[in-house]
Amino acid sequence: MKDNPIQSGDARCLIAVGKVFREAAFVAVIGAAFAFAANQISPLGLALTRDYFPAGTASPVRLAGGGTNSGPVSPAQLLAEQMKEKGLQLMDGRQAAQFFHDPRFKKDIIVFIDARDEDRYQQGHIPGAYEFDPYRPEKYFDAVLPACQKAEQIVVYCNGGDCDDSESAAILLRDVGIPNKNLFVFGGGIAEWTTNNLPVETGARNSGNLHNPDK
Amino acid sequence: MKMCQTSRGRVAVDIPTVLARWLLGAVFLYMGLSKALHPVDFLKLLRQYDLTQSPLLLNSMAVSLPWFEVFCGLLLLAGIAVRGTALTLLFMLAPFTILVLHRALLLQSALAIPFCAVKFDCGCGSGTEFICRKLLENFLLVLLSSWLLSGHGRQLSLRFNLIKSL
Repeated sequence: MKDNPIQSGDARCLIAVGKVFREAAFVAVIGAAFAFAANQISPLGLALTRDYFPAGTASPVRLAGGGTNSGPVSPAQLLAEQMKEKGLQLMDGRQAAQFFHDPRFKKDIIVFIDARDEDRYQQGHIPGAYEFDPYRPEKYFDAVLPACQKAEQIVVYCNGGDCDDSESAAILLRDVGIPNKNLFVFGGGIAEWTTNNLPVETGARNSGNLHNPDK
Repeated sequence: MKMCQTSRGRVAVDIPTVLARWLLGAVFLYMGLSKALHPVDFLKLLRQYDLTQSPLLLNSMAVSLPWFEVFCGLLLLAGIAVRGTALTLLFMLAPFTILVLHRALLLQSALAIPFCAVKFDCGCGSGTEFICRKLLENFLLVLLSSWLLSGHGRQLSLRFNLIKSL
């Protein structure tokens, strides 16, 4: 019997390696199909074509460095810079508190928009603030749009710090026709609000469950 | 580490080998589900790597990676296509470990702190972690995947090789 070169050790090894790669490719293809199907079925699934970051897909926290001697840049400074680029108006905690205590707030001429997810909103939001998760806007437009159309000043906030969901929410509102001059982004967000001992409301909007750290 | 015949003729299972495969499968199942159940959070974390400016590509990655990990975890737990799955996991682990390392080095440089003091949520499904611990975890996952790729973990497998005579 002649030696079959295919049966030599190296050749068999190569064939085995090739089969493992084929198996891996098979797993990858089926896995990808499974993943996209699961996303379609899941109620939490993402829409593939939607731009969830209208302010840009780049990370909000760009790292300082690159040879400059300016030192680390704070997230708040970066947020302010980003908003300026996008033509949005930044508001600080003092101004947000003034708006909250302004009599026009009671008349819905000033409105607050909470751009965090539902869980965080329920855990505590600025009293009377509308819930508006910019990643699921269709769920909130019915309630938020009429209020924003009526209001003269709209304060949008999220967690504060490097959170830029308030920026995304403000751009979304601007894109659907809310005048840019009416939109203000409260950069410090709920973190600064609670640090300043201002009241928060838990549960649904106007639930009456107020918590004032001062009291 | 092979299945062996006991004196009474019963087949003994190589427990550590099977446990290793189940452990790797469970880790990927857990990490995948923790991301798949919070897709927006994962999308935001993925965004921090600045991999692409295309929303479609970013969304596709955020959608596919968690469920793909779940799929691979299930295959390993069941013992189906174990070597192919292990190779796929290696192809996923290697570039993501490099990305995590790159981001950690950027953070270290920006914050001027020791490397192992760098702590952030890498989007791996395990929350905020110190970078040295994360790298060690990934190294162990790479080791386990490589071990399965070399042909271990056959016992209690539904179909170790998907392609015949592997």
